[in-house]
Amino acid sequence: MAFHWSMHQLTEYFAAISASSDEETAIKVAVERAVEALDAEVGAARLDAQGQWRGAIGLATQLPASVLEPVLQGASSVELPELGTVYACGADLGSAIDGCLFVARMSEQLSAEERQMLQGMAQVLGLALRNLGALAVERSLREDHEREAAHRLELLEAVRAQQLLLETLLAIQRAISQREPLHSVLEAVTSGASNLLGQAGIALVLADPTEPANLIMAGSFHWPTTATGAALAAAARAMAAGEIVECPTTDSPEGALHAVPVHVSGSVGGSLVAVQPAATDADDGQASMLVAFAQQISMALTDARTVEAMREAYRDPLTGLPNRALFLERLQRSLSDPGSDPVVVLFIDLDRFKAVNDSLGHRAGDELLTEVAGRIRTTLRASYLAARLGGDEFAVLLDGQSTETACQVAERIAARVAEPFLIAARTVYIGASIGVASRTAGCTAVELLSNADLAMYRAKKTASGRAVVFKPAMHTDAVAQLDFQADLKTAFGARQFRLNYQPIVALETGALYGVEALLRWEHPIRGQVSPVDFVPVAEEIGLISDIGRWVLREALTELAVLRSSAPDLTVSVNLSPREVTDHDFVEKVEEALAAAALPGCALTVELTETALLTDPALALRHLSSLKELGVRIALDDFGTGYSSLSHLRQFPVDQLKVDRTFVADVCESSEDRAVVQAVIDLARALSLEVVAEGIEGSRQQGELIGMGCALGQGYHLCRPVRSADCRRLVNERAIPRSARIDAMVATQ
Amino acid sequence: MTVDRADVTTDVASCWMGPGYSADDNALTAGRRAAEQAVDGRVALLLLVFAPPSYDLEKLLDGVRSCASDGTVIAGCTSMGGVVAGQPDSPTRGVVVVALGGPGLQVRARAGRNVSARRREAGAEAAATVGGLTAPSRICLLLCDGLVGEQHEVVRGAYGVLGATVPMVGGCAGDDLTYTRTHQFLGDRAGVEILTDTVVGIGLGSAVGFGVGIAHGWRKVGEPAVVTSSSGGRLFQFDGRPALDAYLDWIGADRSLLDDRNEFRIRAFGSPLGMSRRTGEDIRVVHDGDLSDGSLLCLADVPQGALAWLMEPDDEALVEAAAASCAQAIENLDGAQARGLLLFNCGVRKVMLGRAGMQREVEAVVKAGGDVPFGGFFTYGEIARTRGARGMHHLTVVTLALA
Repeated sequence: MAFHWSMHQLTEYFAAISASSDEETAIKVAVERAVEALDAEVGAARLDAQGQWRGAIGLATQLPASVLEPVLQGASSVELPELGTVYACGADLGSAIDGCLFVARMSEQLSAEERQMLQGMAQVLGLALRNLGALAVERSLREDHEREAAHRLELLEAVRAQQLLLETLLAIQRAISQREPLHSVLEAVTSGASNLLGQAGIALVLADPTEPANLIMAGSFHWPTTATGAALAAAARAMAAGEIVECPTTDSPEGALHAVPVHVSGSVGGSLVAVQPAATDADDGQASMLVAFAQQISMALTDARTVEAMREAYRDPLTGLPNRALFLERLQRSLSDPGSDPVVVLFIDLDRFKAVNDSLGHRAGDELLTEVAGRIRTTLRASYLAARLGGDEFAVLLDGQSTETACQVAERIAARVAEPFLIAARTVYIGASIGVASRTAGCTAVELLSNADLAMYRAKKTASGRAVVFKPAMHTDAVAQLDFQADLKTAFGARQFRLNYQPIVALETGALYGVEALLRWEHPIRGQVSPVDFVPVAEEIGLISDIGRWVLREALTELAVLRSSAPDLTVSVNLSPREVTDHDFVEKVEEALAAAALPGCALTVELTETALLTDPALALRHLSSLKELGVRIALDDFGTGYSSLSHLRQFPVDQLKVDRTFVADVCESSEDRAVVQAVIDLARALSLEVVAEGIEGSRQQGELIGMGCALGQGYHLCRPVRSADCRRLVNERAIPRSARIDAMVATQ
Repeated sequence: MTVDRADVTTDVASCWMGPGYSADDNALTAGRRAAEQAVDGRVALLLLVFAPPSYDLEKLLDGVRSCASDGTVIAGCTSMGGVVAGQPDSPTRGVVVVALGGPGLQVRARAGRNVSARRREAGAEAAATVGGLTAPSRICLLLCDGLVGEQHEVVRGAYGVLGATVPMVGGCAGDDLTYTRTHQFLGDRAGVEILTDTVVGIGLGSAVGFGVGIAHGWRKVGEPAVVTSSSGGRLFQFDGRPALDAYLDWIGADRSLLDDRNEFRIRAFGSPLGMSRRTGEDIRVVHDGDLSDGSLLCLADVPQGALAWLMEPDDEALVEAAAASCAQAIENLDGAQARGLLLFNCGVRKVMLGRAGMQREVEAVVKAGGDVPFGGFFTYGEIARTRGARGMHHLTVVTLALA
């Protein structure tokens, strides 16, 4: 089989052309391969559309454009520069594309086979160029598409940004429409803005609805704590300008601030402030975003509910005064402002408010608080800020005033509050305990208010009616108080409590009538702690009920032992006002009696008059229940507290105990003697027993006997003793009850 | 670097060529002696140095420079042996220096660097040295790095500059079949650069003309196969089969032959591939096989779609080819007296011919050339273009005759 080299070369040629990726390469490869295959020296291609030779090789000079014409008309040789006469051949690129492939050879004429091969090569080139042309169009289209895609991407980014804005605004609207708490709404606003602005720090400053001149930092997100002043200043500028303002970097070390006014109900009501970190620049796009966002949230904030919520968030609904949140915010702002010095706070706590509230009802209590708020407000200058912190607590912020001035203000307030109030058609008297505290270096608003609170607490304890200025030692005291409370809590479980017993005796005969159980606390380090000190604390920390339960059980258990020697002996147990109103108070007493296997008449519970006032109805119910058990009821410290004689009629009282303060000077003071006599007479009239407390001398004893007081207790008669000593005492001095009554009658 | 020495006179007989050789162990001595022999007291315009890579090339060239005159162009390359008269053994070791001179000769030289990354551009740069010649006859002598592969692209680049009017000759530098690195030299008396990945173009101008001869002596055997898949010099498939396996079948071997690469190479040298061309065959040297993908590696491109035959040597034809090449070159002087012959002899032929065959080849060259001095080197590829556009050859003897 003869192998035609031309066929083989054509195959190689086709493979080489097919690998070309663009028109220029295809032409160059085609010319080269055609020239090499035909052992020609010169070659070129021409696309008639352009009329230029392309891919020409073999000549140092340019191939003349006219050289092809004779060849196309059948000439087999042409004249070429440099080479002279050469044998040439041209072939059309086919119907696919106009053009031709041209070669010229120096040595010999192209044979028919060679011309045929050249024709095949030309047609392959034509096909390749047509395909590449289509590819180029496609590529161009693809590039167009890619440009379009890039443009679409830009649009998509813009849409996404728009979408993000929309979603953020929808989230805010949802928060409002779902009546989420104000702080949630404001957080949606500030966090949304921060997110849209690339996590920039955002502050939302709003004017106080009731005092528009005051600006409040209503919300923030990623906001640097040191830039609060700058935010408020920028907000004020934006609100005054009515348009976006940019505060230069020097105004804020954190970076440049941009502030946009926010409108509420059509008026400028605040500002949205953004801070860009110093390392970044806020571009126009972000400024536009900030403006757009501010416009949107203006509508959100104008929502009436939001406005109302704002009002509620910062105002006390009862008195209209700023509430704790606003007070602390304003206080913190003052503390952050170095120009605002000194900064003094008054902490006002009403005395005896609870009694009024409980006796006259909550509506009266509200009326009273409103009246108090009015008196405080009118006592103050406009520049001072009064607030209701909650309950019966108020505070006043005095910017730029000395402590002395603050004390004067405090005492004026205390004097005004001490004046009678007409509440629910009644004249009511209350008081105010006021603590004064001034700024110290580095203290926060919470700390300053806490200091004033401690001072107030001291004022309340001393009950001097004077304002008390905070001293650092009060912290120590507060800490000591906390330690005391902690010790008290552990005392109960550590069995540090014990009961002493003080005999109650017939004054005339000295016969033992009963014993009063007195609680004692022996701390391993503190030593013996007086009930005067720890009982109030026990009441404060809610330990008194457990202590009371223990005292009852312990006392009744001891009585059971004592009754082996003195079967009619009774024990008196002191109850705190808190215990009387415990829901399980009666049950507690009943259990204790049952545990000791004693009848109710073995127990006398001692209450102060004040205990009956906490919840008179409940107290009456409980005491009546005790009476049904046979338990006896004594009013302790009679004559010292808030008394209503009708209570004596109302409550099932069996015994009155004359307070020691009256007994102490019964011999020297005619007034005290008159009081004691009155009590004795009252008791007799109501068929009540009378016990005089605090008898410390025989003269007192004699005087009391002459006045008709049958029973008494005191150091003169017998000190409080431990249970062992008490048992011995009882063994030695026990007398039957019937004899005691006879003795009483005999003295009258 | 461009080195120029253009003195043209009307003395047409004033072109001379002198070969020199030294196998001294001392590189400096070897270079100096070979150059002294070549120059023989004359002022050379061109000193061509063909040296084995085992020499200290710097010292060797220092020795050559000691015999150069002001304006002498020093060029050359490493090889797999020199070709020179009087040394029938043509030992691998030994430097051959060919000196050219005479008032009828013009010499310019230039390097095209970084060939492997820019073959066409480097070829064009090297060939551009011819542009400075004013003599009526010009030829471009190319010495190209033999390991860059696809040297035909270098030749195409050179042709793009030279065009149909300027012939090309030359060879590819070798490295004694270590396939590690070849070097090319270009410089003058002041200093010679030792380059790699370079093609040195030496433009020769003469009033008389040059003659080029090309011959190889291989013949095709058996049935051909179509190269159905290839890329450059890597053949993937013959007729859809893994090229390596098809080739091994052709030569009656199997894959175990590749256990010893040297053995494979020697066998492959004797069984090159020839591609069907208009005039004869384009021969490709097979130098390695890749077991991982069954491909065959050739020193030059084997176009996809080519029809390839196995070629076999005929010892006599191989020897005769050298003589034929020389005779052709002399004939192409168109009657002018040959003053020297420069031979670019494929190194594979050396391996095939062996010592005895090489001796006979030298004798044949002597016989063909008469007393015309000759020199040259064994190459990794030959360059010759006198007609057409192709210029890369393998397993060929290319001869340049100077008049």
